[in-house]
Amino acid sequence: MTHTNLIFRSLTRRKGRLLFTLLGIMIGMASFVTFMALGGSLKSQIEQESAALGANLVVTPKGSCAYEQVSILTGEQLPTTITKDEVAAIRSIEGMQAIPYLAERSAIDNRPVSVMGILPEETRVFKNWLLAQGEYFPEETADGAVLGSVLAEQFGLNPGAEVRIRGADIKVLGVLEETGGKDDLTVFLSLPVAQQLYEQKDLVSYVAVRVDRLDEVELYANKIKDKVSLGVVSDKQMRGSVLSIVGTVNMTLQMIAAVAILAAAFGIVNTMMTATYERKREIGILQAMGATRNGVFKLFLFESGIYGLIGGIGGAVMGGLAAVFATPYISQNAATSFVKGSQSSFDPIMFAGAILFSTLVAMVAGLYPAIKASKLSPVEAISYE
Amino acid sequence: MNDPVITAKGLVKEYGNGATLVKALRGVDLDIPNGSFTCIVGPSGHGKSTLMHLLGGLDHPTSGTVVIDGQDMFRLGNKELAGLRAKKIGFVFQFFNLLQSLTAMENIETALMLAGVPEKEQKTRAKELLDMVGLGEKANAKPGQLSGGQQQRVAIARALANDPPVLLMDEPTGNLDSEAEAEVMNVLETLNRQGKTVIFVTHSNEIASRADIIVHVRDGQTQLPQELRKAC
Repeated sequence: MTHTNLIFRSLTRRKGRLLFTLLGIMIGMASFVTFMALGGSLKSQIEQESAALGANLVVTPKGSCAYEQVSILTGEQLPTTITKDEVAAIRSIEGMQAIPYLAERSAIDNRPVSVMGILPEETRVFKNWLLAQGEYFPEETADGAVLGSVLAEQFGLNPGAEVRIRGADIKVLGVLEETGGKDDLTVFLSLPVAQQLYEQKDLVSYVAVRVDRLDEVELYANKIKDKVSLGVVSDKQMRGSVLSIVGTVNMTLQMIAAVAILAAAFGIVNTMMTATYERKREIGILQAMGATRNGVFKLFLFESGIYGLIGGIGGAVMGGLAAVFATPYISQNAATSFVKGSQSSFDPIMFAGAILFSTLVAMVAGLYPAIKASKLSPVEAISYE
Repeated sequence: MNDPVITAKGLVKEYGNGATLVKALRGVDLDIPNGSFTCIVGPSGHGKSTLMHLLGGLDHPTSGTVVIDGQDMFRLGNKELAGLRAKKIGFVFQFFNLLQSLTAMENIETALMLAGVPEKEQKTRAKELLDMVGLGEKANAKPGQLSGGQQQRVAIARALANDPPVLLMDEPTGNLDSEAEAEVMNVLETLNRQGKTVIFVTHSNEIASRADIIVHVRDGQTQLPQELRKAC
């Protein structure tokens, strides 16, 4: 006989109660693990593929925006465009995606519109554009224009029509689906065509950059500054608010899980209190046989710890399975589609942590019953019937 | 008469306070000679069990001392007292002596474990003890599968686990029919002949008649012990 044996024999004595208490902990821990996995995947999703955010860095010529005033003060002639070599240098940095744009203006029916020279394929992927009508640029240097949806509607332009830009009649190839942004009001040309029209050979206005890991934006901003002498603007505010939303969602999920665990913990308290009353006599006998108060305390404490350990393992497995198998279904729902791909976030450290946490919670829950049990006087325990 | 193995002096035990004060023991002096078979007899509610609990160190007196084998029990800390119970005294109670979830063998092993006997030796010793009370073949039976007399014999075997000099019994046969009672008494008498000091609480005069010393407890006080067979 060992102490461990004795604890297991006490545990398995009431099998029904053991099972139900364990189920309580398992469900609590399962929801905890599931929510952590979902929350974790949400975060890694946003950090890894920040597609939803568009660009998180913009490389601008020194002559634009804030730099203009500097040029007035110093009298220095600052460039207002970025050269082909600079673009190539920026695009050579790994771990980020850089898309050059030539931003110009034109007018249709005497109303100003913005004209954008783009790398058709890369930009389409970068911006997740979908085509509403007509066709997209069939090749990288294709003639013709693709219009934003609002602009097309405003001017009644359909595929096949022509728009006059800088004196050239350009055929409308297609119209994009509405994006909700300023792209809806823009005429897109392929970059070489735009450069030619606006006589900006090999020049672009800015480069939009999206880094692979959102938390390393600053690092990449510095890498770019090291390579080229250009301005780099990062959208810290955007990033901050997105990360804080992720944090809030995570927090909410964790709080729900915490409630489940708390309920399970009280289940353990209840089970152990019942055990204390039920085994009062046994406690007295153990004491008469020479068990110390500390010994009785430990027996009860470890007994609840084992509830936590087994429940934690069961819960972590259940939660892990739920996270892996259930999330594809969850992600089909538009409101929860952000959790897609959570399989990748199944984390052995979190798994072990959950089991440890569950054991600790159970032992804390068992503290009061264990103290009660150890405080029983042997005589009181033996006289109990 | 042998030297006393247990000496109680001025034992007072009170429960409650004020109007509800109950004086269970009102100053008991008692010597239990080594190797004796002592019966504590008296009507219910007169303090027999309280006296036994104090002699066994299960409870603390309001005042007074109990010295067992030269050690003043109530000067010991909780841990030392528990150790003393494990090594010096074997207890058998009237009801539910055994841990119900464990087999006869495991009940005995648990007592050995509490005294710090290594697991390997526990099995050998437990088997010896069960053989000694004639229950070697019931080693793997749970208490529920044993008769009352058998359960008490297992309890006695368990009380003997750590070879204590003193066995303290609180009406161990109070719940048994006469056949089972005879089984238990035989075991106890054998043990007593082998040198164990047996202290036996009972209200049965028939059992008391088999003792060396009878201590009458009445109204929380002892009357002079009557020494019978082994009178000095």
